[in-house]
Amino acid sequence: MKQLYYKADKCLGCKSCLIACAVVHSESGDLLKAIREKIPPLPRKKILFSKGKNYPVSCRSCKDPKCLDACMAAAITFDKEKGVSHDKARCVGCWMCVMACPYGAIRPDIAAKIPLRCDKCKDKDEPSCIVACPTGAIIWEEEVLSK
Amino acid sequence: MKQFIIIGNSAAGIAAIEAIRRTDKDSKITIISDEDNPSYCRCLISYYLAGDVKEDKILYRSADFYKDNNIELLLNKKVSRVDPKKNRIILEDRSQLGYDSLLIATGASPKFPEVKGIKKTGVYGFRTLKDAKDIEGLLPVTRTACILGGGLIGLKAAYALSKRKIEVKVIVKSKQVLSQVLDPQAAVFVQQKLGQNGIELLLGQDAVEIIGEGEVKAVKLDSGKAIGSSLVIAAKGVSPNIDSVKDNQVKINEGIVVNHLLQTDVANIYAAGDVCEAFDLTLGKSSVNALWPVAIEQGKIAGMNMAGDKVDYEGALGMNSLEFFGLPVVSLGIFNTGKDPAFEELKILDTKANIYKKLLVKNNLLVGAVLVGDIKNSGVFLRLIREKVDIASLKGRLLSENFGYPDIMDFIKDKETLYV
Repeated sequence: MKQLYYKADKCLGCKSCLIACAVVHSESGDLLKAIREKIPPLPRKKILFSKGKNYPVSCRSCKDPKCLDACMAAAITFDKEKGVSHDKARCVGCWMCVMACPYGAIRPDIAAKIPLRCDKCKDKDEPSCIVACPTGAIIWEEEVLSK
Repeated sequence: MKQFIIIGNSAAGIAAIEAIRRTDKDSKITIISDEDNPSYCRCLISYYLAGDVKEDKILYRSADFYKDNNIELLLNKKVSRVDPKKNRIILEDRSQLGYDSLLIATGASPKFPEVKGIKKTGVYGFRTLKDAKDIEGLLPVTRTACILGGGLIGLKAAYALSKRKIEVKVIVKSKQVLSQVLDPQAAVFVQQKLGQNGIELLLGQDAVEIIGEGEVKAVKLDSGKAIGSSLVIAAKGVSPNIDSVKDNQVKINEGIVVNHLLQTDVANIYAAGDVCEAFDLTLGKSSVNALWPVAIEQGKIAGMNMAGDKVDYEGALGMNSLEFFGLPVVSLGIFNTGKDPAFEELKILDTKANIYKKLLVKNNLLVGAVLVGDIKNSGVFLRLIREKVDIASLKGRLLSENFGYPDIMDFIKDKETLYV
């Protein structure tokens, strides 16, 4: 499975990736239209400044996902190839997944009552944050599993 | 070929099946339920009653789950006794089944308060899909419902009924709602939210009698006042279903007591879920934590150990996520300290923005958190509690807007691999 890696040294914290993320997950998929949508789209990533560096934080599709165990609606599933998936139709917005995520990588969209997490832009060739990043701080490559 | 028996077909039982089948495809697994549905999402019965979730979405696993995993499912069967000496269980219909390894995941049942008239028609627990359906059947003829108890189950029932346009009164003995999971300050936010949405809370009051001739007509309070009501829901907590192991070698305290492998005092009998009393990480002693994610984790580990593994269970932890009318609330570990000076409190309170965050620290370890309105870091706090991370150097940052996983990655067990 491909994974998103981040070069924290290169990240300027410019938030271009966040905008690209919100837009690609909006109804219209277009920046100018997206900002006028009824429920404004939110990015599934955040950038946290810690110890002098910027760290993008997003769902890393854990092999033993705590969010899946916590999900009382069976809305979260895991597949070896596809990683973690979330079924909106089953979700009741109870935020158990938010409470369980050890990375704080699930964002509760309170207005839409839906948890938001990075889906690696599953319908696109590559995640849109990579294209948006002006410094090449985001890397998209096959995960090397270490013990 | 081994014979596994699992009593209880909910969170812990299903998690155990999946754990066993990960390594053992052949052994015989029999799972027994006293309900008449395949496993469903028990925590969603309030959403079902509210009309938010339809019955087809409430099943926890697909219809083919049992067949695909080669599981024998026995529905509508109650186990009356476990006989550890002969490695068998005896069902209420007198039939017997032998096992090599047994998991007791029988869950818990609603506690009905000992007040006069509690057995009258129209008084329900709120635990099973059947309870929800029975209550739903009464809605066309119900105007006012009384909920006894202001815990999570009571409030979820109140939400569901008010969504169905029933007038709801919640009778809460304590001076606050959710006294088992929230401090008084956090409870105020929830109380306001419920009040604004038409749910009447009668705090500091207790029901003393259910009035009616056979059928419920009213609930009498200790103040002397009576509330006309044809539906009463008893939501005064749950007690573990331990009847089948009473009077044998399996040790019982409040629940079935287990060791670090989730084994009972009888080596080939395990317990998991709401019936199980396991080590509690924040309390430092054994305790029942009747919570969905705890049941899943325990079921999983019990299943692995039944299949021959030796996986240690690190311990449970009180963890609750609640959502009422758009207000998210999370409670982790210890939430009330009384006036014990050993605890340090870190706090943010912004009543205008509906935000309240309180962290409890003891000996530089995070031992509890109450988060209202902003729950984004709750998983990170949970991790600090679980892994007993020394937070001396983090204390000043924990409640800052920029705090998050990057701040803790050097202190936790798993090595960070994504930041290169």
